[in-house]
Amino acid sequence: MKLLYIYISAILISAALLAGCTKFSDSLIKDPNNATTASGMQLIANAEMALPSLSSSPYGVHYPQYLSNTSFTDNSRYTTVNFSFYPFYTGPLTNLENAINAQLDANQGPVVNQLAVAKILKAYFYWHMTDRWGSLPYSQALQGRANFTPAYDSQQQIYNSLFALLDEANSTIVTTNGNLKNDIVYSGDILKWKKLGNTIHLLMALRLSKVDNEKGKAEFKKALSNGIMTTNSDNLAYPHLNDANNENYWYNSFTQLGRNWFAVSKPLVDYMLPLNDPRLPVFANPNTAGNYVGLEYGKAVPNSSDIDQVSLLGSSLRRQNSPVHLVTYGQALFALAEAAKLGWIEGGDAAAKTNYKLAVENSIAQWTGSTAGTADFLAQENVKYNAVKALEQIATQRWVHLFLHGYEGWAEWRRTGYPTLVAAPGANGDRIPRREGYPTQERANNTTNYNLAVSSFPYGGADDLNTRVWWDKP
Amino acid sequence: MHKKLLFLFFILLSVYDAVAQSTTVHGIVTDETGVGILGASVSVKGTANGTATDVNGMYTLRTTNNAVLNFHSVGYLPQEIARNTRDTINVILLTDSKQLTEVAVTALGIKRSQKSIGYATQQLRGEQLTMTKEQNVIGSLAGKIAGAQVIGSSGASLGGTQKIKLRGINSLSGAGEPLIVLDGTPIAQQHFGGNENGVDLGNISQDINPEDIDKISVLKGPTASALYGLRGQYGVILITTSKGTVGDKNIKVSVRSAYTVDHIINFMPLQNIYGVGNNQTFLTLANGQKYVNGNDESWGPKMDGTPVRMFYSFYPQDAQYGELTPFVPQPDNIKNYFEAGHNFNNGITVTGGGDNSTFRLSYNNTYIKGTMPNTWLRRNNLALNTSLVLSSKLTVGANINYANNSAQRPTQGYQGSFTGAVQWFQRNLDVNRLRNYRYPDGTILNWNVNPNAEGVIVNNKPSDWNNPFFDAFAVLNNDNRNRVFGDVHVTYQLMPGLKLSGFARSDFFTQNATHKEAIGGRLNDGYSVIKYQNTENNYEFLGQYDKRWGDVTFNAIVGANLLTQDLTGTSQATVGGLTSIGNYTIAASVDRPVSTSAITRKQIRSAYAMGSVGFKDTYFIDASIRNDVSSSLPANNNSYWYPSVSGSFVFSELFNWRPLSFGKLRASYAIAGADLIPYQTSQVYLPGLPYTSPTGTITGLVVPDLLRNPNIRPSFANSFELGTDLNFFNNRLGIALTYYNQQNKDQIINLTVSGASGYEQAVVNAGLIENKGVELSLTGQPFKTKLFTWDATFNIARNSSMVKSLYPGINTYQLAVNTYSGVSVFLNSIVGQPFGSLVGQAYLRDAVTGKILLGTDNMPIVETNHNFGSVLPEFTGGFLNNFRIGKVNVGIMIDFQKGGQFFSWSKMLAVKSGQAAETAALNDRGKNVRDPLDEGGGYKITGISQATGQEVTAYVDARTYFRNNIGTRIYEEWLYDASYIRLREVSVGYVFDGELLKNTPFKSAKFALIARNPLMIWQKAPKGLNPAELSSGGAPISWIEKGALQTVRSFGVNLNLAF
Repeated sequence: MKLLYIYISAILISAALLAGCTKFSDSLIKDPNNATTASGMQLIANAEMALPSLSSSPYGVHYPQYLSNTSFTDNSRYTTVNFSFYPFYTGPLTNLENAINAQLDANQGPVVNQLAVAKILKAYFYWHMTDRWGSLPYSQALQGRANFTPAYDSQQQIYNSLFALLDEANSTIVTTNGNLKNDIVYSGDILKWKKLGNTIHLLMALRLSKVDNEKGKAEFKKALSNGIMTTNSDNLAYPHLNDANNENYWYNSFTQLGRNWFAVSKPLVDYMLPLNDPRLPVFANPNTAGNYVGLEYGKAVPNSSDIDQVSLLGSSLRRQNSPVHLVTYGQALFALAEAAKLGWIEGGDAAAKTNYKLAVENSIAQWTGSTAGTADFLAQENVKYNAVKALEQIATQRWVHLFLHGYEGWAEWRRTGYPTLVAAPGANGDRIPRREGYPTQERANNTTNYNLAVSSFPYGGADDLNTRVWWDKP
Repeated sequence: MHKKLLFLFFILLSVYDAVAQSTTVHGIVTDETGVGILGASVSVKGTANGTATDVNGMYTLRTTNNAVLNFHSVGYLPQEIARNTRDTINVILLTDSKQLTEVAVTALGIKRSQKSIGYATQQLRGEQLTMTKEQNVIGSLAGKIAGAQVIGSSGASLGGTQKIKLRGINSLSGAGEPLIVLDGTPIAQQHFGGNENGVDLGNISQDINPEDIDKISVLKGPTASALYGLRGQYGVILITTSKGTVGDKNIKVSVRSAYTVDHIINFMPLQNIYGVGNNQTFLTLANGQKYVNGNDESWGPKMDGTPVRMFYSFYPQDAQYGELTPFVPQPDNIKNYFEAGHNFNNGITVTGGGDNSTFRLSYNNTYIKGTMPNTWLRRNNLALNTSLVLSSKLTVGANINYANNSAQRPTQGYQGSFTGAVQWFQRNLDVNRLRNYRYPDGTILNWNVNPNAEGVIVNNKPSDWNNPFFDAFAVLNNDNRNRVFGDVHVTYQLMPGLKLSGFARSDFFTQNATHKEAIGGRLNDGYSVIKYQNTENNYEFLGQYDKRWGDVTFNAIVGANLLTQDLTGTSQATVGGLTSIGNYTIAASVDRPVSTSAITRKQIRSAYAMGSVGFKDTYFIDASIRNDVSSSLPANNNSYWYPSVSGSFVFSELFNWRPLSFGKLRASYAIAGADLIPYQTSQVYLPGLPYTSPTGTITGLVVPDLLRNPNIRPSFANSFELGTDLNFFNNRLGIALTYYNQQNKDQIINLTVSGASGYEQAVVNAGLIENKGVELSLTGQPFKTKLFTWDATFNIARNSSMVKSLYPGINTYQLAVNTYSGVSVFLNSIVGQPFGSLVGQAYLRDAVTGKILLGTDNMPIVETNHNFGSVLPEFTGGFLNNFRIGKVNVGIMIDFQKGGQFFSWSKMLAVKSGQAAETAALNDRGKNVRDPLDEGGGYKITGISQATGQEVTAYVDARTYFRNNIGTRIYEEWLYDASYIRLREVSVGYVFDGELLKNTPFKSAKFALIARNPLMIWQKAPKGLNPAELSSGGAPISWIEKGALQTVRSFGVNLNLAF
């Protein structure tokens, strides 16, 4: 009896001991597969990799009618209504937010400059996003577990917040020994970053021309005095590599996937060809017969034999390492020309003319790598600065300049109304989109705030392609 | 406290009895077939002295020389035998037809009489699984267990994933699956392979050889599985393998051999009028010849025999270069791609036993040549079960299983192995013409490329579709797995009734998979390789105590278990192509290859106890408790308790109503749980892609999209069930009925959150999901004559689920999303609704009439985010029949499902691409819908004009309607009810008896004709889709079909010989 009791006790005690111990060695608890610390510039470098996606899009490129589709015309006919903004938040923005909130060290350059770069990039991504969707989660966004259902800020609030963010970045940058390491786009040149921040600020300010002239003007002048880009070498252009891990989107589409799906659209070719625009041979390849022929925009039924008849996207823009132009000196000069014409800055038509000419020159230089033919091009009657239709000229040349950067070209088209474009026939009620719809997941994931955002659109409308964002005042 | 005292009291009693005896008597208690009966009680008449037999039916007892022994076991007639000074008494117990014959295997492998169990279990015998040589144990359970939903996969996948869910979906993510335990050893159940797309390597329960299975016991709910604690939330499938018998002097050898021939069936009806193109005008080359290009849609001209240049005519290497050939339909162009498959299954078993040992050795070999060209699978299974009785008290044993698989498999899903043929293809394309996919000079023959106006293919890279034979022979998916699982154990009979056991259990495997992509296809040439190595060890201690005092039976167990899991994995893939053609190695990567490695380790420490008391074989009560400490929970909060209690009442013992042979009521309540994978409690950064600039490498780090959680708790399932087992008419009819209600709360899920939070998903304890249901299992013997017997089992179960709460502020959990042409459909769990709502674009309908609304172009208008209801079926079940007519045995297995639904891309795209039959049907004006509207063609659409509110009937352009509207935007059209009734297995066998075999070495021989999947008796979804084979690889819930491999039907023979 005693023996049995001992056995039973021994069993119970040993079982209890085994389970009772709740300590495990670190090798069982700590994740051995991932980093637990990150440097600011590593988080920033990864966010930079999302930059090309702001331009390289098979959707944005159609709204301002830069490209038409040869095989599947759905995208040029606005079939997709809802677009996800989640990848921006969960990708570059959360990386940048982590960098801004982390304890950074100075091993990769001054901490204030790392923070400033993170803020400039954050502002740039948000600017792109709000121009596409309008109101967006901003002040309550990127807080992780603290807020899974962030409220939407109006576009006006977002613009004001981004102006403040860019001011903060500009004022905190130290330029002496200020360069950074581990930077893809500017190789750490802090002066270029400073100019980029202010150029973004300037372009954002001009966006307010229809809706808030005073605010736009004030922000524009402030950005200008803070120092914007002064040469094409200041451009923000994402440098792709001859490496499948970092290749150009259009290379992947044409060469890797073998899809000759994108031709330069008829409105663009029809505008550029008669002017003998030196940029056209860069934008477009000649067709099999050797001519530049734009493809009719937004056909209801594609025709397979079109591919031979029309000009596909220019080969030099779809090499594996073709850079993606994002924020350029040329666009800044067009902005200065327009601002002068609007009276936002001094100089009137004279200043507008000078900046317009410089803008076209720098645009041609950016795209063709030379200035050949620029003088002849500019001397033509329809190109030469004309005070009567200056705003249309500036806008139209800017449209050409922003080629392939569809979302930016589309934003400027929405703001200025130039050039005159006709929607894909029979698509979207014969209207060119003025906004993109929110991701359908938001209706489920963030119902209350989504509904509130939609009901507070500044000019009414539904969550579709046709509602106007705040600065796109009717 | 009271319980503890009672426990001690029983122990004291038994000890008192033990010391009062003098000499030992021992022996074996067997059934009529010589198999040892476990747990038979052996007691001394007139005393409280007694014991129970062990696994091999052996017992040892001290009694006086003239004692009278009572042998008693559930399901058998009791016997009373006087000792008469003998030392050995072997007893054969005869089956009691009035009693329930089955002994149930319960948690931890403890065998108990059915009557004493207070919860539902269901048992299957090995031969019920191997009737038609189904290869995967999970698949062989389909329809045979009430309340188990098996989601199968096509036989063409060669062992693709089959999923089982017990009692509905008990997790918000749909991911929970029952734990599989083989002879006490938990078996890893990973799924390798992607979801709806990719190569499905299958769930690795297929390493269990069905031929080795003696019994399967399914513990459906937490009450049955509470003793498994953290792993028991989704039920347990207990597998007992066949063993040898002690004292069986004859060595038995049996040989089995089966062969089936496999054919692809269930082709979708397609049109044979219009060929490739976007419109009905032929394309012409510069020289005026009509031609077809690499377009993948069939909205083109009529296939009227017009001479055209086909794809092969553009290859100068081709014999028909430059030739015009008639543009005609190829009605069987999809069918012609497939081949007859061959399935060989051979095995041998040697069973035996000595005076103090048992062994069983089995070997099985499977070879399948697939129905898809150039696919195959080989499998070897070896199993050895031995036990050795070292002394009357000490037994040691080992179960060792080895499984080896290697295969070359097809790819399923979108852009899979010819799975796109109904989706995007040309009705005029002769697939046989593609068979020689490579010309002698190395040029690949492609159909999906475009010649220029001169008839020259400048770029011979297909845009979306490889030549399917290139895919079959030059794009290869290979995998292999070596696996060992089993245990060694020692059992010590400390004293009568008290047994101590120790087990060391292991499940070890390495999994390799490679993918080769040859040059010349739509993708870069390349190579990828993955390797996983998984080791799970369980060290288990178990003490068991059984005692009977007159009317009172008592048994108790205490146990402890240490679980260690170690998974290492590496994967690598070339990027940017290979530096040398055909050099399939990572080192040949043009650009920096993708490379990952991961180590995942986990430990769970557990202790548990259970006690059970019975009175007069009529009243039984059980209680159990388990404590688990898991290393993957937060360090400061990782220890949790899981209790259960159950009772049963055999009311038929209380009265004698002849028709009722047996009647029992049972009730139980339990808490079981589940934890999470390791390392989810602290935040990390993932390595980003490096950027190799001329001035040096720039490194990036990524904030993961999944937000981890330092405060996670295990989830708990609270389950209550109530049931009855009734047997009538001498057990000719049996009814088992169970009602259950299971509340699964604090589920650990990766909750999808608004991306604006910075994260796509967050690890949270979320919500409450409730499952209620009824399970009914009827067993019967409607006919029983000398010449003819009919045994039948009918299972049916209905489950309803409800998502009761989720997470503060969030009412929708997005489980999965699928996007095509910018249109997304979702599988969501929504608060206040059943699990798994399918959400997508529907017709916008008139609120009053329910008719569809039409726009000014007379096309349907879309309603975004329409909720189509739950993906889950209303009820599932099966009907298993066995007829014996003389020496002929006929087995027929039918399984069925009512309700459930799924989206089908295949059907949607067959319509979108103009291949489906309805896109070229006649309209009510007798014209083809594709004929011009002004000639009476067009699709007739009826609805209500959104603008005017008036009813409209109009004829609209077929291509615009099918391709650009419903085929792109209206997922309501592509949602199908998954109801079906399927004849799943048929076996017709003949047993050769002694007379016929007199002059042969065989003791017995059985020959059978077998058929798997012979007939889909009825299905609600259209032909070409199989609602019973929707398994989508590793994805937990199958809700969308994106190019499933087609159904395989097998016919063959099965031969069993015993020597």
